[in-house]
Amino acid sequence: MELLDFARGPALDFAMLVFVLGVTWRLVGVLLLPRLRDRSAPREGAPPRLVGALRAIVRRMWPRKEFIQVTLFSTINSYVFHLGLAIVVFGLAAHIVFIHDLFGLSWPSLPSDLVFGVGVITLAALVAALVRRLTHPVLRLLSGPSDYLSWLLTTLPVLTGLLATAQIGARYETLLAAHILSIAAFLIWFPFGKLMHAFLFAFSRGATGMRFSHRGVKV
Amino acid sequence: MDTLNAPPPRCDPPDAGLVEAVLQELAVMLEALAGDEQFNDAIDLHSLPLDDGAREQLRQRLGRGEIEARLELAGLTYIVETAYAGLWWVRHADADEHTVFEQIVVARVPPLLPAHGADIAAAARRLGAELSG
Amino acid sequence: MTDSQPLGEMLRERGVSRRAFLKYASYMASLMALPPAAAATMAQSMAQARRQSVIWLSFQECTGCTESLARSFSPSLEEMIFDLISLDYHHTLQAVSGEAAEQARRQAMRDHKGKYIVIVDGSVPTAGGGVYSAIAGQSNVAMLAETVEHAAAVIAVGTCAAFGGLPEADPNPTGAVPVSKLVMGKPLINIPGCPPMPQAMAGTLVHLLSFGKPPELDALLRPLAFFGETIHDRCYRRQFYKRGLFAKSFDDAGARKGWCLYELGCKGPVTYNACASLKWNGGVSFPIQSGHGCIGCSEPRFWDRGGLYKALPTGTGERRRVVPIAAAGGAALGVAAAALARGRLAAAASKEAK
Repeated sequence: MELLDFARGPALDFAMLVFVLGVTWRLVGVLLLPRLRDRSAPREGAPPRLVGALRAIVRRMWPRKEFIQVTLFSTINSYVFHLGLAIVVFGLAAHIVFIHDLFGLSWPSLPSDLVFGVGVITLAALVAALVRRLTHPVLRLLSGPSDYLSWLLTTLPVLTGLLATAQIGARYETLLAAHILSIAAFLIWFPFGKLMHAFLFAFSRGATGMRFSHRGVKV
Repeated sequence: MDTLNAPPPRCDPPDAGLVEAVLQELAVMLEALAGDEQFNDAIDLHSLPLDDGAREQLRQRLGRGEIEARLELAGLTYIVETAYAGLWWVRHADADEHTVFEQIVVARVPPLLPAHGADIAAAARRLGAELSG
Repeated sequence: MTDSQPLGEMLRERGVSRRAFLKYASYMASLMALPPAAAATMAQSMAQARRQSVIWLSFQECTGCTESLARSFSPSLEEMIFDLISLDYHHTLQAVSGEAAEQARRQAMRDHKGKYIVIVDGSVPTAGGGVYSAIAGQSNVAMLAETVEHAAAVIAVGTCAAFGGLPEADPNPTGAVPVSKLVMGKPLINIPGCPPMPQAMAGTLVHLLSFGKPPELDALLRPLAFFGETIHDRCYRRQFYKRGLFAKSFDDAGARKGWCLYELGCKGPVTYNACASLKWNGGVSFPIQSGHGCIGCSEPRFWDRGGLYKALPTGTGERRRVVPIAAAGGAALGVAAAALARGRLAAAASKEAK
């Protein structure tokens, strides 16, 4: 029980601290950088910059026709594990209790058996992503320790969550402690690797969209 | 709402599979008894997750036989022979008729019924003393 | 005082037949999850044994453990434990008091040297030289050491004796410690619970009497027969948990339908005890059935686990304080980083201009 007490107490506290500190640091640091103002005249029919940004964020949720064939696996597989993670994180009653304790928000939960099934699919998709990264020559060339660590710390909470629910491998309090500790590890690493894409993707896509919508051909 | 006496809320139908499993085990034990008169074993109903519905179902399936015994020893014990010779339903109750524990005994005679050797010896001494005194 | 007669004879003289003895043994075998066939062996050994001398030491306790054992609901059956043991010393139950009581204890220790069982309830204070609890002018620490020296076995009943319990909870002003911290080199059994289940106490004693050794214990020295499963494992509301049907507050619509109490702080999944199967007060009910979540009272340090009503998935620390501080700190770092970057950009631009 000592491990569970540590996980629910000091470990989560520290993880929250690092997560909030790190994310705020990076976001504030990036957003306060000087903006590159394009002083040229906008093209004909250019939308306001913000609209251009939002359009890019939405449009790039799906690859362009020309690229669908080549990116099919990563598009589909990524959607599977992203949506799976969302369903598991926001649909399981125990997680809603956790969020309610932090933010005071709550909503109806999904049946636990359904969430378990989604969790299994999510784990499979995550493993598939790793296999892809290891077998695709270009991806393997580009991947470094940071990428693999991001994968590991995203997959461990899913794996430990499934094990805890099924009560496989150890006593429940140990499995629950492992699950909470894996979340703590995930939160601590989050601001420092590419998991930050969760926040930054909006800004990088938005910036591209602003630039492209200002000049050249309508995209 | 009288919550003290209300039955606990239920969300499952009685576990029919468990009743079948118990009956299967009893069948095996009864076979053993049929082959060996000295065989003596029991199924402890407390150790099984049987709810009231399942217990009732089991009682129905086993039926009643020819013997019903009421024992007054450290509280009341009821021994009811089932419709299957050699299978006995033994229920131990406290002063409020509340079941303390329950077993299905598989034996020629449940071990609680026969008089114990040590008790007989003491009784013989006592009767002898009473007749001579 | 213990008799030198075998128990079987002694009980018969009191009108308890060997048959009743066998019934008691069957009941105990059932509680201890032993095979039904073990009952006959147990009855035989107990009948031939002598009455077991037991010295019960009460330290920083509330007497709940004694109440649990003594207020049995099947008196005719469960009171038999008091026939099988000779409670040679027990503050609440014994007839003598004062110096005579201490004499009785020391006499029993002499008469049954190496054979008596010591039961302890309550934790032992050690701060200030053990001055926070003293009996007959003797500190608990000293009395414990003196009494266990020639004991055959020690049983720590109740969470206070087994793990420290309430006295040991933060800030532990009396330096309370569990019995296990002070007793070395003797067979020790922990029977925690606040209070412990009477069947657990009686069953363990009967096991010791019948087999001459402790029952199978877990890593925390608790008998597996009673502490092998969690409350959650045998809870009748388990199906509601699986289906995600939880009561959100006490006595709300879900609570009245008997839904799972996980969100109201139930510690059932991490608490090992037999409450869900044996139940309390003669099998009438147990906390969850009465609408209150398990508080985890048979686990160490359950008082300091962040709160009885804090659900298991929630953190117990100071996150609400940590988050704004971290945000402020992060923002400050971000501003500093951006300022540095802007400074460098400006310096490069001015160098270019030159």
